[in-house]
Amino acid sequence: MTIRLSGVGIVSDMIHLQIYRYDPEKGGEPTMQSFEVPLTKPGMKLLDALNHIKWNLDGTLTYRRSCGEGVCGSDGMNINGVNGLACITPIAGLKQPIKIRPLPSMGVIRDLVVDMEHFFDQYRSIRPWLQSETPVPEHERLQTPEDRAEIDGSYECVLCGCCTTSCPSWWWNGDRFLGPAALLQADRWIRDSRDEMAGERLDQLEDAFKLYRCHQIMNCMECCPKDLNPTKAIDHIKRTLLARKS
Amino acid sequence: MVIRKDTGTAHNGLSDWYWQRLSAVLLLVTLPLPFLLLWGVYSGALNQFALLDLLDHFLSRLFHTLLIIAIVVHAYIGLKTILEDYVHPPMLRVLLIGTMLVAMATAGIWWLALVWAWGG
Repeated sequence: MTIRLSGVGIVSDMIHLQIYRYDPEKGGEPTMQSFEVPLTKPGMKLLDALNHIKWNLDGTLTYRRSCGEGVCGSDGMNINGVNGLACITPIAGLKQPIKIRPLPSMGVIRDLVVDMEHFFDQYRSIRPWLQSETPVPEHERLQTPEDRAEIDGSYECVLCGCCTTSCPSWWWNGDRFLGPAALLQADRWIRDSRDEMAGERLDQLEDAFKLYRCHQIMNCMECCPKDLNPTKAIDHIKRTLLARKS
Repeated sequence: MVIRKDTGTAHNGLSDWYWQRLSAVLLLVTLPLPFLLLWGVYSGALNQFALLDLLDHFLSRLFHTLLIIAIVVHAYIGLKTILEDYVHPPMLRVLLIGTMLVAMATAGIWWLALVWAWGG
């Protein structure tokens, strides 16, 4: 249904949203609440609509947000069945009513806010920092442009969790399978010419559950808001392990 | 989500991944061959004696053996992976995978015995 408003001098369509509401502290069952938000500007993003609800309609709606530009990775959510970042998802093109749910398979803290603790535990487990035994040079560790290009497609990850929480293998075995985001970052450090612990990193990953639960379903690649390809990174780790053994 | 204490790596998984892909390549080569035989029979290009001569040939038996090994290995690893995905209690998982291994190995050996006419 489209409603025309002309009171403020502009004609604006209404956006229809259905948003997952749940407060575990209050108990009860989760519900989907309907909202209508005016489309106020061209190129309006989904986060703008959520902000409008929060600031004008219902201040209890809870979600994470920060930079609003797809850099911080805070506002990952399930939008019409596909994970994405609300701040860089245009309203135009989304089927209405826009159904917004929290990231799948995560414990809900409230409404669209999920518990990311396990996700970041898994990220920490791959030791996502440069490890080197050679002495620290006077200025900086240099890379050739070619070596630097090796980590294109992985360093851009903002750890929003959209890929990992869209992975069925992670839904089934998330307690052991590291998931696409952590493995993409593991590959990032294996590829980095300045890191000297590739062998130890591969040792830590060579496991039927930590790594090989990836069945190349490719949901991660489909939903990544930064257009990265974790499946390719995981395949690179597998091939590196094979090359090491052959 | 339950956060479990990390028990480290089992250093496995690579061989399953490797053999599953190797057996898939082998299947790609050998699986069309029986269908080729079927086509030969139904198109009338092969009569019963020609078919038996072909099946008795050493090369046919060799390809048949490769096909059996590829099917058993590929199916075993695939089903094992599915069981690992869905069956979470470790003892039940080990029991099911072990049972499947025995059943598939038996079927494979029986099939090989037929191909090579072991025991007469």
